[in-house]
Amino acid sequence: MTAELGAFALVLALALSLAQAVLGFAGVRRPALAGAGEGAAAAAFIGVAGAFAAVVTAFVTSDFSLANVAAHSHTAKPLLYKVSAAWGSHEGSMLFWCMILTGYGAAVAVFGRGLPARLKSRVLGVQGLLGVLFLAYTVFASNPLARLAEVPVEGRSLNPLLQDPALAFHPPMLYLGYVGFSVVFSFAVAALIEGRVDAAWARWVRPWTLAAWSMLTLGITLGAFWAYYELGWGGWWGWDPVENASFMPWLVGTALLHSAIVTEKRGALSGWTVFLALAAFTFSMLGAFLVRSGVLTSVHAFAVDPSRGVLLLSILGLSSGAAFSLFAWRAPALSPGGVFAPASRESLIVINNILLTAATATVLLGTLYPLITEAFGTTTSVGAPYFNLTFVPLLCLALLVLPLGPLTAWKRGDIAGAADRLKIAAGLAVLGGVAAFGIVSPRKALASAGLALGFWLIAGSLAEVVERVRAFRAPWPEVRRRLTGLPRGAWGMTLAHAGMGVMVLGACFETSWKVEAAEALPVGGQLRLGAYELTLKDVGTIDGTNYLAERGQVTVTRGGRTVCAMTPERRFYPAGRQNTSEVALCNRGLDQVYVVLGERRAGPAGEPAWLVRGYFNPWVQLIFLGPVLMALGGLLSLSDRRLRFAVGKTA
Amino acid sequence: MLRGARAASARAVGEDPALAVHRRQLAEIDDLAVRGLLPEGEVRTARAEAGRRLLAAADAPVAALDPGSGRRVVLAVAVLAPLLALGLYFTIGAPGRPDLPYKARLDEWRKTPESLDPPRIAAVMRAIVAQRPGDPEGFENLAAAELASGDPMAASAALRRAIALAPGRAELWAALGETFMVEGDGRIGPDARAAFGEALGLDPRSLSARYFLARADIADGKVEQGLAGWRALVASLPADAPARAALSSEIDAVARAGGLPPAEAAPAQPDEAAIRGMVEGLAARLATQPDDPQGWVQLVRAWSVLGETGKRDAALAEARARYKNNPDVLRALNEAAR
Repeated sequence: MTAELGAFALVLALALSLAQAVLGFAGVRRPALAGAGEGAAAAAFIGVAGAFAAVVTAFVTSDFSLANVAAHSHTAKPLLYKVSAAWGSHEGSMLFWCMILTGYGAAVAVFGRGLPARLKSRVLGVQGLLGVLFLAYTVFASNPLARLAEVPVEGRSLNPLLQDPALAFHPPMLYLGYVGFSVVFSFAVAALIEGRVDAAWARWVRPWTLAAWSMLTLGITLGAFWAYYELGWGGWWGWDPVENASFMPWLVGTALLHSAIVTEKRGALSGWTVFLALAAFTFSMLGAFLVRSGVLTSVHAFAVDPSRGVLLLSILGLSSGAAFSLFAWRAPALSPGGVFAPASRESLIVINNILLTAATATVLLGTLYPLITEAFGTTTSVGAPYFNLTFVPLLCLALLVLPLGPLTAWKRGDIAGAADRLKIAAGLAVLGGVAAFGIVSPRKALASAGLALGFWLIAGSLAEVVERVRAFRAPWPEVRRRLTGLPRGAWGMTLAHAGMGVMVLGACFETSWKVEAAEALPVGGQLRLGAYELTLKDVGTIDGTNYLAERGQVTVTRGGRTVCAMTPERRFYPAGRQNTSEVALCNRGLDQVYVVLGERRAGPAGEPAWLVRGYFNPWVQLIFLGPVLMALGGLLSLSDRRLRFAVGKTA
Repeated sequence: MLRGARAASARAVGEDPALAVHRRQLAEIDDLAVRGLLPEGEVRTARAEAGRRLLAAADAPVAALDPGSGRRVVLAVAVLAPLLALGLYFTIGAPGRPDLPYKARLDEWRKTPESLDPPRIAAVMRAIVAQRPGDPEGFENLAAAELASGDPMAASAALRRAIALAPGRAELWAALGETFMVEGDGRIGPDARAAFGEALGLDPRSLSARYFLARADIADGKVEQGLAGWRALVASLPADAPARAALSSEIDAVARAGGLPPAEAAPAQPDEAAIRGMVEGLAARLATQPDDPQGWVQLVRAWSVLGETGKRDAALAEARARYKNNPDVLRALNEAAR
């Protein structure tokens, strides 16, 4: 009965979300109703969580009477992937989406004690409406608890590419981010209804934005890491439509994070902040539509169904359409807030916002352009060259200006003074770039400039701390007092900005100086990879839990000295008749040697040989370390005691 | 929900939390100023602005609230929501339908092995070999079930496990070779050849290995060599073996056409002569090693499929006598004889 109880819990959650929406809006004037709305929000979450638990149970016990389990599981699958398959399918991930959506609603209800009653009631009302839309979609168009009349003997198993630890945890993170923006969206709609967007509102919104942004950062990073080592193509970002779909909410979220600070500190930019708050969740929903509708072909798109796509597009149009109409109607009435001079931190944040928004627009265009041309009968694909020419320069400009911001005062600042205080950082960055140009071969001017940009971000972020604590100028006890006095929010900002620099260093170095080699090697054959030699010592077969594999023994030597013994695999999953490659990685400081075992073919003398591909990826670890630092910065800011007041942390 | 309503009514009367936020901002500015983390000039303007915001918020009109009313609405919603859910559930759910966890289904299947189709037999066999991973017979039977349910890949994997456990049994290698053939749509590729070669190495009399290796020679164009192999095979069969006639006529056909007939160049299944050869082999094995219930069941089923009612009844009678105390085997034998 577990499955049927879950199915009932799911429709109950739908009914409760409806109750939450009604009570939330009715409760603006009648506190009793508002209180009941809070209860409904918490109960809706419990309902969805119950349904989700039922789905996980069905996956763990391999109950193939559930269509979703039959399509995505298999008795031979390891337990972790039985559990993670619960959110690995379209239906299951929609349920997961709803669970997080109602979870955030419940978190507002439970932790939002310090919110003004009317704002809170409206926020829960809007969140309830979103819940109704997505739960109705899940219940009627993508029910993960739907039963099969004919129960198959065995399941069809999960796509083996998704049977990977990084990918087991990538969707939860990503969804915590995507759906986290729904709270921000609800806050924005509630504020528009109320007609009041002020500093206090911005502060209430900030923790939710920070939480969502940090989770999204981690989620995208895990996804990039998975693409890097599971797909076996040596890269980590391919401007794939699905990657872009997750990247656009991140860019808008980043802009929102900054503009909300202006609203919080100065009461300014309130209309713009609300606009971004609506846009962030709109892009999240756009991403969900793109991935699930079948309009895009992508490595990580779900198995798709156009009718579902139309429904998702309707949800997107309905919610965002209503919200933006409300915005157009109410925004002119919003108070303009504090004024600021052209040279001020506000202005620099406005520049950051303009550049980030423009960058989002280029990504959006690049993602949708193939769809637009396809509608007119021609197929085009938009790839890295487009993004290198549009997105990258915009981002470089934004990053170039970045270190000036924290050093410029609010309202009326002194940009020349800020630049003056960044002299040493600029000097270090130029020195780093020149050193890279001189030392790293082959010589690459543009890439060296990119490294200088990375150093500039790191040194600039540190320079701000140095400046604030008067290091090297004040006596040590004074510096220490200031260091310990710095709020966590400031440390979080520094960490996030420096993390961006770390990521830029890694991305520039890896992209420009990676070495690649591939050859069909017989046992004993050797492949040269930059300064390393790869030797295929042996290839054996192994019997995995739910796959068969050929496992190569590859020794990596450098100048005759063995540095690594690697075991790349080529796996065959009989359940889905699919081959995957299991990349072997060898860490060398910040660099990695990356080896893929390809298919077997006949060597030059007819002996069996295997296609071995090797990559030397210098500084690649920084690409993943940087975003982790950024997310940690976000979480550190979230833990700032100043934010804990009024709104607690998310569940 | 009801509790929330009561709690909210209780705390409805209070001041606007926005005031607290603005006051708090003021305090933070002071705090930063005291710690010297905010420049002098900025402190003054920031204070002035935050103060103005505080005053503006304090002046905002407070809407009239009605803390008492709405109880009846809450009660109505609390009753209606579950009712709505129940109604929806009856339209989309499957009320009363039990869970079907795999383990329970498997236990059910194990109770009635004779009424199962090949995929279910394979599922049961998989569970059995998981319990007895050291038993080559189990893997052999699993391979047969997997092959019957159309999964030669799983069959060859099972046979490999069986061979690892019993490396000396030629018929396992021969079965592996045949599985490879099914996987390769009837072609006898290098994998299959190697497997038949192993079988022949272990047992030079292996019928199916000799038959298929010779057939592979013919398919590769070495017709004479292949025919020689087949003729030697015929000579080694007993004079009354039905396979003998079938193979003889096949030899004639190939000799006339100078190669395998095109339609039969890629048979999806081993042809009847080969099946007969294998069945004779099985019968011979059971004559010397009779303690193999599964083997008897296979033999009875094979004769019945080939239409050899006489041989079927003889085998059935012998097996029944041998396993008269084992109802499971008897049931399986009766099933196979049908």
